[in-house]
Amino acid sequence: MNSAGALGARRHRRHVGLRARVIFVFALGALVLSGALASITYFSVRNSILRDQETSLTHQAIGNAVQISGTLHEFFDYGALLASVDTARGSQSILIESSGQLYASSPSVYGALPPDLRSIVLRGKPAEQVLSLNGSPTLVVGVPMAAQKAAYFAVFNLSDIERTLHVLLVSLILAAVVTTLAGAIFGSWGATRALRPLHEAAEAADAIARGRLDTRLEAENYADLAVLTSAFNRMADRLQERVEREVRFSADVNHELRSPLTTLAASLSVLEARRDELPDRAKRALDLLSAEVRRFRRLVDDLLEISRLDAGLGEVTDDEVALGALVQNTVAATGIAVPVSIDGDLAERRVLIDKVRFERIVANLLENARHYAGGATRLAIDAEGDWGSFAVEDEGPGIPESERDRIFERFSRGSSAKRRGAGEGTGLGLAIVSEHARALGGRVFVESNNGRGSRFVVELPLRTSPRPPETNGGKP
Amino acid sequence: MASRILLVEDDERIRTSMRLSLEDEGYEVEEAESGEEALECHARALIAQPFDLLVVDIMLPGMDGFDCCRELRKVSTVPIIMVTARTDTHDVVAGLEAGADDYVTKPFEPKELAARIRALLRRARSTDGGPVSLSFGDLEILPEAGVVRRDGEEVHLTRTEFLLLCELAANSGKVLSREQLLERVWSYDYFGDGRLVDVHVRRLRTKVERDPSDPRHVLTVRGLGYKLAP
Repeated sequence: MNSAGALGARRHRRHVGLRARVIFVFALGALVLSGALASITYFSVRNSILRDQETSLTHQAIGNAVQISGTLHEFFDYGALLASVDTARGSQSILIESSGQLYASSPSVYGALPPDLRSIVLRGKPAEQVLSLNGSPTLVVGVPMAAQKAAYFAVFNLSDIERTLHVLLVSLILAAVVTTLAGAIFGSWGATRALRPLHEAAEAADAIARGRLDTRLEAENYADLAVLTSAFNRMADRLQERVEREVRFSADVNHELRSPLTTLAASLSVLEARRDELPDRAKRALDLLSAEVRRFRRLVDDLLEISRLDAGLGEVTDDEVALGALVQNTVAATGIAVPVSIDGDLAERRVLIDKVRFERIVANLLENARHYAGGATRLAIDAEGDWGSFAVEDEGPGIPESERDRIFERFSRGSSAKRRGAGEGTGLGLAIVSEHARALGGRVFVESNNGRGSRFVVELPLRTSPRPPETNGGKP
Repeated sequence: MASRILLVEDDERIRTSMRLSLEDEGYEVEEAESGEEALECHARALIAQPFDLLVVDIMLPGMDGFDCCRELRKVSTVPIIMVTARTDTHDVVAGLEAGADDYVTKPFEPKELAARIRALLRRARSTDGGPVSLSFGDLEILPEAGVVRRDGEEVHLTRTEFLLLCELAANSGKVLSREQLLERVWSYDYFGDGRLVDVHVRRLRTKVERDPSDPRHVLTVRGLGYKLAP
């Protein structure tokens, strides 16, 4: 049970890991691709916009310079002249004379001219520079006017372009993020899809482990996994066949034991009726024979019961009973005297339970106590909500911690059982208890203080409405 | 006078040992080793001294125990205990439906079988000296005479069916639980097999009801048991 659980957890972890890895790879791929695409797009768009803008702005600057140079001698108010030129696109103009006198269409642009640029243009060379003016990106185009011994500068605010590029950048980043997410989602979908057959195989294996031996994988669903599915199904076929053969075999063996036992029991009863007529030696032999036949019969009964439980035979019936009457009648049927502790309300409570299976549970626990612990000292019934607990207590030697699970296995008597009463029990009683408890939807466990008695507790659901039909039956 | 029992069992050793132990219990036992032989014995005995009870093993060569029961039921209402190898639903219910009154499962203690036999024979006699005639609509029950009539025509019931009907009739209108019926009709304790009651009620209905699938007299009271209505 433990190792199966650990295996399940490990399988689960690896499963998630694989999935996460696929998702990660898809997302990373989408991120790299969309990132590269966005960068290329951004920089090429930016370059081309800037180039176009520069070309057109330079043309405008030259046009403005030509216009000014043509009319410069007619004006004395250079400010007004500068204001009259084309100021499309929010451009400002600066005129500078070789004397160093500055004129500008707007006072805010006075500081826009870096000295380097100014001297280059005044020396007769056109030049341009992108700089930051009052926090805005600004293009300054200088056009020399050699004839007038002056230079004209057009100052263009590039904020709009910057804004446009900014919007573009944000859009591209968003697109990259969305693409990455889409990649992750696609990866997750793909991983789920790709891992579904594995998942189904895991579930099928789990179902088989839980006893549903007829579970198979559907071969036609995954052509790529034909080898896996057919191997899996072949394995399941063999397992089922083998389990069924074993069940059949033990049922057959048990069946073959019934006939001689019937003869033995009947013949023995004839002999026992004439015990007094026998000589002493024959009497002693008869007593031995009787005791052994009784034990043999108990063993066969228990084996039959276990093999029926194994084969999932015998339905779980719903007998409507009052708990008190059930317990009293059960104890009476076992023929073992034990004080019963149950409170009045609980004794009146009516529940649906398989009373024959209940009797088998209690009878086996009482017999177990008789054989190995000097007899049960108390049968205590308690209920909490919809669960009842039925505890058989004894004052025997107790059961060491290490054996408390193992004693419910077949033929695995505890160490104390080897010392005492070994000839009495069949070694199957507690296994039968455990199987019946499971069939009834409950469980059994033992509490023990080593050296100071044991307490076998059976917990069963106390139902008042019938169980759903599919949970019927001895096997899960 | 000792009750006469016919023991139908193919395994010679089981048959002989059972005979010995039943004779120890004070019964007069005859043996048959097949279904065919059992029918012959039974027919022969009807003329001279009929059997009081039959013990029939289900697993017989040739005609099996189920068929044997069915054939016997065509001519007789004698109590039949069948011996099964398994307590699986199928065998027990099939045996009861074939007409058996009760069953024991191998390996059984001779005491167990003796107790079953005693119960069937005792209650078969206990109908003697019962009350007068009882009437339920078109049904008329004469416990003392062991006769049931529907619309004045006699209905042939086995003794167990008859006793079941009488028990329900004696508590007319009251619901009797399976446990109560098992105790009163079969002398079982708390752990008797409820299927005995269910199958016998089903068989009873096919005989006393006009439409067994829509019973008017023998009614099921869900979760509680059965009752008889006029």
